[in-house]
Amino acid sequence: MKKITISPPVAAVLLAVVLFVFSGFLPNSFGTDMSAAAGQAVNIIRLSVFLGIIAAGQTLVIISGSEGIDLSAGAVVTLSATLTWTIVHGRNEMVLPALVAVMLVGAVIGFINGSGIIFLKISPFVMTLSMSGVITGIIIITNHGNSQGMLAPIMTSIIARPVIFGIPGAIIIWVFFAALMWLILERTPFGKRLFAIGVNRTTAKLSGVDVTWMVLSTYALAGALAAFGGFMVVGNTGVVFLSLGTPFLFPSIAAVAVGGTLLSGGKGSYFGSMAGALVLILITSLLTTMQMSDSIRQMVLGATLLVLISIYGRQKGFRQ
Amino acid sequence: MTLSLSAQNIVKRYGGVLALSDGNLDVNPGEVVALIGANGSGKSTLSKVINGVVVLDGGQLLLDGSPVHFASPNAAKKLGISTVFQELSLVPQMTVAENIWLAREPLRSNGFVDSKEIKLRTEELLSLFEGTFKASMNFDIPVASLPPDEMQIIEILKAVSFKPQLLILDEATASLDSRQVQRLFELVAKWKDEGKAIVFVSHRMEEIFQIADKYSVLRNGKTVGSGIMKDITDKELVNLMVGADSIFGYSRAEHQDRNNPARPVRLVVENLKTDVIKGINLTVREGELLGIGGLKGQGQRDLLRSLFGDIPHEGKFILNDKIVNYTHPRHAIKDGVALVPGDRSREGLLSIRSILENLMLPSWTNYGFPLQMRRSRQDGNQISGSLNLKMAGLEEPVSSLSGGNAQKVVIGKWLLKKPRLLLLDDPTKGVDVGTKAEFYRLLQQICSGGTSIIFYSSDDEELIGLCDRVLVMFEGGIRSELEGSSLTKSNLISASMGASNGSKE
Amino acid sequence: MKLKRFQYLSLRYPSFIAFVFFILALLVNLYFQKSLLEPGTINNNMRVFLPLILLTTGEAVVILTGGIDISVGAIVSIVSALLATQVGLNGTPDKVATWFVVALLVGIIAGCINGFFVAYLRLPPFITTYATSFLYGGFALFILPQPGGGIPASVANVYRAINPLGLHWAFYVIPLLLLIWFLIRQTRYGRYLFAVGGKPQAAYETAVPVDLVIFSTYVVSGFMAAVTGICIVLLTGTGNPSIGDPMTLQAITAVVIGGTAMSGGVGGIAGPIMGAITLGVIKNIISFANVDTWWQTFVNAIIIVAALAAPGVISLFRRNRP
Repeated sequence: MKKITISPPVAAVLLAVVLFVFSGFLPNSFGTDMSAAAGQAVNIIRLSVFLGIIAAGQTLVIISGSEGIDLSAGAVVTLSATLTWTIVHGRNEMVLPALVAVMLVGAVIGFINGSGIIFLKISPFVMTLSMSGVITGIIIITNHGNSQGMLAPIMTSIIARPVIFGIPGAIIIWVFFAALMWLILERTPFGKRLFAIGVNRTTAKLSGVDVTWMVLSTYALAGALAAFGGFMVVGNTGVVFLSLGTPFLFPSIAAVAVGGTLLSGGKGSYFGSMAGALVLILITSLLTTMQMSDSIRQMVLGATLLVLISIYGRQKGFRQ
Repeated sequence: MTLSLSAQNIVKRYGGVLALSDGNLDVNPGEVVALIGANGSGKSTLSKVINGVVVLDGGQLLLDGSPVHFASPNAAKKLGISTVFQELSLVPQMTVAENIWLAREPLRSNGFVDSKEIKLRTEELLSLFEGTFKASMNFDIPVASLPPDEMQIIEILKAVSFKPQLLILDEATASLDSRQVQRLFELVAKWKDEGKAIVFVSHRMEEIFQIADKYSVLRNGKTVGSGIMKDITDKELVNLMVGADSIFGYSRAEHQDRNNPARPVRLVVENLKTDVIKGINLTVREGELLGIGGLKGQGQRDLLRSLFGDIPHEGKFILNDKIVNYTHPRHAIKDGVALVPGDRSREGLLSIRSILENLMLPSWTNYGFPLQMRRSRQDGNQISGSLNLKMAGLEEPVSSLSGGNAQKVVIGKWLLKKPRLLLLDDPTKGVDVGTKAEFYRLLQQICSGGTSIIFYSSDDEELIGLCDRVLVMFEGGIRSELEGSSLTKSNLISASMGASNGSKE
Repeated sequence: MKLKRFQYLSLRYPSFIAFVFFILALLVNLYFQKSLLEPGTINNNMRVFLPLILLTTGEAVVILTGGIDISVGAIVSIVSALLATQVGLNGTPDKVATWFVVALLVGIIAGCINGFFVAYLRLPPFITTYATSFLYGGFALFILPQPGGGIPASVANVYRAINPLGLHWAFYVIPLLLLIWFLIRQTRYGRYLFAVGGKPQAAYETAVPVDLVIFSTYVVSGFMAAVTGICIVLLTGTGNPSIGDPMTLQAITAVVIGGTAMSGGVGGIAGPIMGAITLGVIKNIISFANVDTWWQTFVNAIIIVAALAAPGVISLFRRNRP
């Protein structure tokens, strides 16, 4: 097999650029108008923020290896959006408490995921997928299909509106978020241990890593980050419904894969997932501009992930 | 139909490591050829090339005089070559009969498996080893419920069921008890009479002299001598294996009496019990290099792992006058205990991560928050330098290193923690001779610095050459304690086999 | 290593736990629904349970060899959409027959795609079939964007109303499946399945055609998913492009509570079939126990989690015993 010499996140960014330029030449697009192009670029990036943040937790659990994945992320997003909406209820001073509360709830859900995975030896896919059903059930119980709530004005102004130089607050938040993710992954013992358990849990244990604690805290952190994603999403759109989080789930996994994080674990970066989010949003918006239906969009996303794992995800054969 | 095989100038590389540079072997019908070599000499690789599991990179294989190329292990089997390996190719969840006949089950005319025939043939095979099974052996029980020696016998029967003309026994006697070994040799004699050709890969001198007609010695990937067993002595064979100037010459002479009662005791183990260990007591002093010997699988690994807190155990440990009980390696590490594990790629290294990350894994908490990478790189370079680690750079993945250098990373990882007690599980397995010599010097240095070392090795020469004292383990207990004048090869070997003469008084 | 008696038993008789769950569920159901054991109710129940039973059988074969197929639900959806649109409420019997065959082919092709990626490109099964589940699901939506269409009532009634010899078709299908499985176990192929699931490396060294075996399991699950799709269309009479969505997790749960370890090498289809029926019985329990509508999703989900957790909890207890 040919060796890929460009690092995957860079390849993803290049792909994003190519897609963006291509989209410019479709009818009704920006063509060669530079300022329109810049505006569109900012818009694309802004749209990517939410997927990017939701993909953060996904990045962590995938790096942790042993087929780590979080299929409950979509449901956590919906739950956290609903809770934010209800707790805030239009009052600015409740924004911060709401954020803390939903992240805590997300962490608890993640902790439960991690417990099932590490103590009961349920595979991550099965555990998180079934938890997603439980969470959805809880959402239905608590709001009986419709919820009462309202955003606080401060949320809209920070997240949705431009803050500095016409750049929406969401993008600035994302930049800080990305810095934080980089710090966690590359400059803390936690991050180093996370990569270690992703590569080889036996070696990690024999090198003093408490694998159980690492798995629990990774999934808990992933849950909290997904909850943060839900907070941001509702802050952006101001509406809440049962399948709010669902459209983010599959793309969050695809974004991680596009970004070059090995699905077997032990190698990857958040920058890759960010680039992956950009690529996926571009694909989605391209398809929308070309007026393709939802079904085509879904098929293209599925095929994209398939192509990507064919490039990045092959495993060793039996013969040497 | 008989077979003769000739392997000529075989070359084989694994990634960056040259396992064989000039491997040769000739075997004719009706004879047993012993393929001999120290650990890492390439003997297992050569036997894997001969039976098609591994593809050769150079040289050629001749079957009955004509060149042959195996597309798969199955191709070799079809041509009449069958192998018994040490690492089993059995499916644990399936029964004895299912395993033996997998993919070759006799079929009835309607295409279904003929269970009656299978039962018959399996029982026929099992009768070859009748009387050597401990519990009730049955064609129908899951292989997973058998003890390791009986699993090995099933593996042998599986190879024999192919009715091969060339049978390769690759360390096949390692897990067998003496009765089973004798029965196997009786069968080998019978097969010789039937004209079969047999390759016997082993490091057990007595067995080699008992059963082999010819020998072929490998050293560092090259065949260095071959001939008729009658014409050679065991000393000469050992010389061929190790090389004229044994690297052990120097270290014994420089031993000081490290088991000097004046030195403080570092570790006391009282009545240690695990699944495999039946009750062990031992003492280690500061700066002592204690060896653990004995045949594989007698509990040596369990001893090291329970000291490190990796497996559940009973018993009392006293480390530097403090009673300790580790339930997880991280507790042991905090107390200054370190373990270099037996399987370096599966237990000691993170293959796709960088050399730096591998070195630093237990130590990151010492580098602050956020991690001070520059200081960690300095420390990394320093330890690599002192270990003479040949690498392209700290950021390179550890998978780019050769066996000996990779092992240095594992050791370096622990040296950075400055342990008080260093445990080593067969650390020089698969390491080239030059690096081995460096290790021995390194271990001596570490001892001089006050660290106590407990060192398990499957290589008897190494134990004798390096250690002050050797505890020989047998069937989960300590059979003998050999020291000073009683630390000889024959005492070691007889203690490994269960006899107990030669112990220190 | 000496196996403890419990481990030995679970190797030889993996469907034992499934049997226990099954009996338990039946008893609870009987408590809430006195008419459970009447012939009419039994036939009604089995009619509804059969689709999941079929799907579970295919999934069981994949999981037995150590893989997993998350796209089965989507394949069911494709078949549902296909039949509902191509046959239509006014289709002729010819059309019905033709499109049933096409549906089976679709399932086989979908399985071949999955099998190609997993067996020959050596991609990890769960992420691969997760990706194809999206691909296939999108395709189902493409064929039929909204629930609708259908098949002629006369055809559907064969499934819904007719009970040959007083027993619903299910009572003939299930023994047929068990018989086929029994026969497969008497062939080399059957042993290949267990070998590949138990220890693929050992199987490879023993000249088992591992790649081909793995490929075939995905074709089987694709085929069974198509059969399930046909069955569901017969049951409901209409088409629904999302009908398969919840079925994937249900099928996997049924396999797990049926005693087939996700690691492979142990199991069969009897246990999973019992597991599928058990899940159906549980749904009955929830409705007959008058669980509040708003709570139903939650309760169902919790039960699935509990069922999946059970093997782990049991082995946890076993490990802590002296």
